[in-house]
Amino acid sequence: MPGESAGEGLAAADRYYRDYGCRARELKRQGKKIFGYLCAFVPLEVLTAAGFIPFRIKGDVNEPITKADTEMETIVCPLVRSCFDMSLKGNYEFLDGIVIPHACDSICRTYDIWKYTLNLPYSHLINMPHGTDDSSLNFYKAVLNTFRTSLSRFAGREISDQELTQAIGLHNQNRAKVRELYELRKASPPLISGAEIAKVLVAAMGIPIEESIEMISGVIDEVKQRGGVLASKPARIMVVGAQVDNVAFIQLIEDSGAWVVADDLCPGAREFFSYVDATDDPMDGIAERYLRKIKCGRTYREMKGNYQEYLEDRFGHMGQMIEDFDVDGVVLYIYKYCDPYGFEVPQIKSYIESRDTPVLYLEDEYSMSTIGRLRTRIQAFLELIGSK
Amino acid sequence: MSEYFAGIDIGSTMTKVVIMNQAMLASVIGPTGPEHRKLANRVMEEALARASLSFDDITYVVATGYGRINVPFADKQITEISCHARGVGYLLPEARTVIDIGGQDCKGIKLKDGRAVDFVMNDKCAAGTGRFLEVTAEGLGVKLDDMGRLSLTAKNVVGISSTCTVFAEREVVAKLSDGVPLPDIIAGLHEAIAARIYGMVGRLKIEREVALTGGGAKNIGLVKALEAKLGYSVLVPPEPLLTGAIGAALLGRDIVKKTAENKIPLLRSERRLQEATLFT
Repeated sequence: MPGESAGEGLAAADRYYRDYGCRARELKRQGKKIFGYLCAFVPLEVLTAAGFIPFRIKGDVNEPITKADTEMETIVCPLVRSCFDMSLKGNYEFLDGIVIPHACDSICRTYDIWKYTLNLPYSHLINMPHGTDDSSLNFYKAVLNTFRTSLSRFAGREISDQELTQAIGLHNQNRAKVRELYELRKASPPLISGAEIAKVLVAAMGIPIEESIEMISGVIDEVKQRGGVLASKPARIMVVGAQVDNVAFIQLIEDSGAWVVADDLCPGAREFFSYVDATDDPMDGIAERYLRKIKCGRTYREMKGNYQEYLEDRFGHMGQMIEDFDVDGVVLYIYKYCDPYGFEVPQIKSYIESRDTPVLYLEDEYSMSTIGRLRTRIQAFLELIGSK
Repeated sequence: MSEYFAGIDIGSTMTKVVIMNQAMLASVIGPTGPEHRKLANRVMEEALARASLSFDDITYVVATGYGRINVPFADKQITEISCHARGVGYLLPEARTVIDIGGQDCKGIKLKDGRAVDFVMNDKCAAGTGRFLEVTAEGLGVKLDDMGRLSLTAKNVVGISSTCTVFAEREVVAKLSDGVPLPDIIAGLHEAIAARIYGMVGRLKIEREVALTGGGAKNIGLVKALEAKLGYSVLVPPEPLLTGAIGAALLGRDIVKKTAENKIPLLRSERRLQEATLFT
């Protein structure tokens, strides 16, 4: 693994990661408005354009879920329950509003609980469609314009096209920085570990977009100074799953003697690898990106061609990543009760295995109490790859 | 000079040690208990005594099983998946699928050329494991070792619908008070476990021959129930509890051979059995 360095980029990421929300709290004191959101499907460009700071609500795998269980049934996925539990326990007391997308059922169907329990000055549900056809896109554009109007009303001013275009530019710039950072994982050994990347990306979810760009640029500069070649060559692993907002799981794989070099995760490649195109009406580019370009199990993709072609349409980006990052094995890491990814397990497995890449499927509970039993499976998987 | 290899398998319920050179020289099986660091030492000493060897004579020690990280004198830790695969590949070369029924987990392993190529594991709860039988045997007032034999005399096997161990215990006690004969209930339990295991391992696409290992393989009633599910006979090694430990010793032998061939130094722990007890 690359050596630890304590420069400004990584050090800042470490600080924001350890005390998640510390920067938002400071900005709140300076009079800024902080908007909490769940999932990768809230168009952050609109919040940024309105002058609000988007802040992604995260859970905590080390904190047992206690308060949330009195409000939310345990059929709701443990990640969403943990996010809600953390909110109830006062971790995000600085929020001025909350925006929740119709992502998965656990997120959408708990919107009322979030709205009435947190009772923030602003709450909004983005009723995003699940299909990707033209009528869905038209519907989604209308939904996004409703969001824009509602946010303008709360801000007490118009959100101009010019402001939107500028916000799109910033968020695209951030995405480009993440891509640049991922490039550094292609080396052998990768210049940055999977656990470090996870830490940087989680940190970035809780700070303003301009600061995120600066932090990631700093990380890139620091990491590029690293070098050295290792004699042994551990397996290169890609992790696929929903929202992994803690380094513990990635760290477990790397401590077992592998490199995590790629992912299809949030925060991660799924969220950062697609851009918003410049369009006459900036809302068109935004709609296109969030509905069609982010490939997530929550979006239903209409069947095209035979089964192989259909799988290629849905998971081709994973296959591309396996190739680009020279991946030896994929860990499919799914939370219990995660409906979108739970349903997709057989297809993802068969798609990746059809490319001769072994897959380890793990179902977990979003809690550190399961680390021991995950460790044996991960070690066995690495032994299996190693003896190939 | 002959080289000796030790494999130690610390399972959730039993600790197993074997010492091998070209063949198995000695083996010891003892209960794991909460102080397995102390016990790892003792079973190793006993195995060494049976083989008339000292610990210095052992070229390489591999630890496996859920307590593998607590064996301070092991040269290497390897997971039970790889060890069971290697052990079965050696004992029953015709096997393509392994079903291991342990005290607290159950696993299925696909084999190719004597190596693991895929696996599934269930240890989320006690369903489908030895613990399920232990708890229900207690509820029925039957010794665990008698369960297999008793179930073979069943006339009308009853269905047990609970897969949760705690609920199943309640269910069998209720059946008993309804006057259902004991063998019918026990046979029902075996069928319930077999169905659970068959469903889980089925995800691997089971291929013949199937080898059954672990404590569950010593229960003739459970073996018969699994065979009924599969539709053909399974293979059971002479001592199914030792498969993992034998695999561990053999993987140790493989490592020593490979390092010698590639002329790289063999990394070993210190040969100090006594000191290990200080770890508790």
